[in-house]
Amino acid sequence: MTATDWLVIILVLSGIIVYGLYKSRTTKNLDGYFLSNRSMPWWLVLLSIMGTQASAITFLSGPGQAYADGMRFVQYYFGIPLAMVVISVTFVPIFNRLKVYTAYEFLEQRFDSKTRTFTSFLFLLQRGLSTGISIYAPSIILSALFGWDIFWTNIGMGGFLIIYTVSGGARAVAYTQKIQIILIFVAMFLAGWAIIGLLPQHIGFTDALRVSGKLGRMNVITSGHSGSGFDWNDRYNIWSGIIGGFFLSLSYFGTDQSQVGRYLTAQNNRESKLGLLINGLVKVPMQFFILLVGVLVFAFYQFNPSPLSFNDSLITDVQHSSYRDSLKLLQAEYDSVNGVRQKLLGDLHPEQLRQDGAFGDTIRKLNQRTEFYKAAFKKISAKATHKDPNDTNYVFLSFVKHHLPIGLKGLLIAIIFLAAWGSIAAALNSLAASTVVDFHQRFWGRNKPVNEYRISRWYTLGWGLFSILIAQFSTKLGQSLIEAVNVLGSLFYGVILGIFLVAFYMKRVKGTATFIAALVVEVFVVLLFFNEQIPQLKWLPDISFLWLNAIGALGVAALSALLQAFFYDRK
Amino acid sequence: MDQKDKVPLFKSWTHWYVLVIGFLIVLIILFSWITKTFA
Repeated sequence: MTATDWLVIILVLSGIIVYGLYKSRTTKNLDGYFLSNRSMPWWLVLLSIMGTQASAITFLSGPGQAYADGMRFVQYYFGIPLAMVVISVTFVPIFNRLKVYTAYEFLEQRFDSKTRTFTSFLFLLQRGLSTGISIYAPSIILSALFGWDIFWTNIGMGGFLIIYTVSGGARAVAYTQKIQIILIFVAMFLAGWAIIGLLPQHIGFTDALRVSGKLGRMNVITSGHSGSGFDWNDRYNIWSGIIGGFFLSLSYFGTDQSQVGRYLTAQNNRESKLGLLINGLVKVPMQFFILLVGVLVFAFYQFNPSPLSFNDSLITDVQHSSYRDSLKLLQAEYDSVNGVRQKLLGDLHPEQLRQDGAFGDTIRKLNQRTEFYKAAFKKISAKATHKDPNDTNYVFLSFVKHHLPIGLKGLLIAIIFLAAWGSIAAALNSLAASTVVDFHQRFWGRNKPVNEYRISRWYTLGWGLFSILIAQFSTKLGQSLIEAVNVLGSLFYGVILGIFLVAFYMKRVKGTATFIAALVVEVFVVLLFFNEQIPQLKWLPDISFLWLNAIGALGVAALSALLQAFFYDRK
Repeated sequence: MDQKDKVPLFKSWTHWYVLVIGFLIVLIILFSWITKTFA
């Protein structure tokens, strides 16, 4: 890191904090603090929705996911466009008509107090935990790049954004997200441009895609069918994306306060809807672009030496362990295969890439051998260090650190911070809104005259500190961070969505039936997810987490209807 | 219907459904072509 990179980082981050504080001026009541007095135009709502969903995890793990598994992750977003229309037709008019602060207020009017409390509790649990992971994600940048202690990095990372979030509430969150999302896309575009420039002179953009494609990274559309029929455990395919993604999107954008709180800030119904609808149209291309950057990084490393692990510190740890000799042998063999591959691709004529003959087979075999050595390193490092050997989250950062030019490196690191701040700020604002409106006002502050504005600021601060605490425990997460957040969401989102679907579409079903159904289905979804870890539950089918959203939502709808018909309607 | 409760940009929600489903189909066709061409 050069002084120029540091200067870029400091200027960008301090600029956002100052801008956030400048935009903090709002009326000192709940309307001003949580809803920005319902004054936002649609385009600001759109940028705020995008900035809330696109966290640092998106930009850290997204390219890494494409590097390791290819482009097929984009299918996960296929359910969003249709979900945006359904939310605009059903959810938005009701939320706006009732002038609610949180989505869960509506549930008390439709059902009863306990259903509202339970749903809001599920939201707080899920969002509180996932916000902790969102703080940890950018912290690994500093930790991996500069060897900073992860504990203090988490604290520093969560602290800066709390300053303007506590100070300015929803207004500061929305205005900073506007700047953040614009800067993020400019920087990602520049990164993609720079990668193409770093490829050998005779290799262009489409040639890079062909190289990645021959090695299985251009699998944008996959059917989910294996030799023995449809694989329900296959995470990302067109069907799990459209159906599972639709239910997940419906739940996330329609019932998660971190998103509902964004479009409730709009001037009116029309502006809320327009922000959501345009988000539905831009989200899939945006994610395609982020994954494409990962595929280009993959192509780059076919022409250049790639490390055994993108987590530099893990290699250093093994070098200092009793496994250092095994590592030396492994490194020598890996470098040898890498050298052959680079020589082959270096001498390549682009015309050869268009033919899938012997050349394609050769680079596939060489790639399999490098994958074999990388897998061997993971085994050695796990034994030597007892640390997570998965380096998916480190791919993009490692590339930024070692190969991007001065200035751009600083900008890329800064925008990863900005992405984190955008989503965390919205989460803290929504967590505080739900705690104040769904719990504090109802249970603790009913007969006491309190300054709600001041209480809201304290809760925002409290959730910020709680999230930092969760971040400290996130270092144990083994898999890709983006998946960890999505898996966590899928455990709760389906049931929350089910409750809202019953509220909107099943007028005969009342509160108690819905409440019991939600409790039962939530337990079932959690058991279904952990069936591998519980011997008595091995008989349950092994399914991908995306399907849990559909199971949770449809399960609550079906069970609540049955309970209502058989137990309550007969009374 | 309240003036501000109107469907944005189009006359009815059917237009929006047609637009997003059509958009998704175009994307899937494009992505399938990319998969077939490069994979």
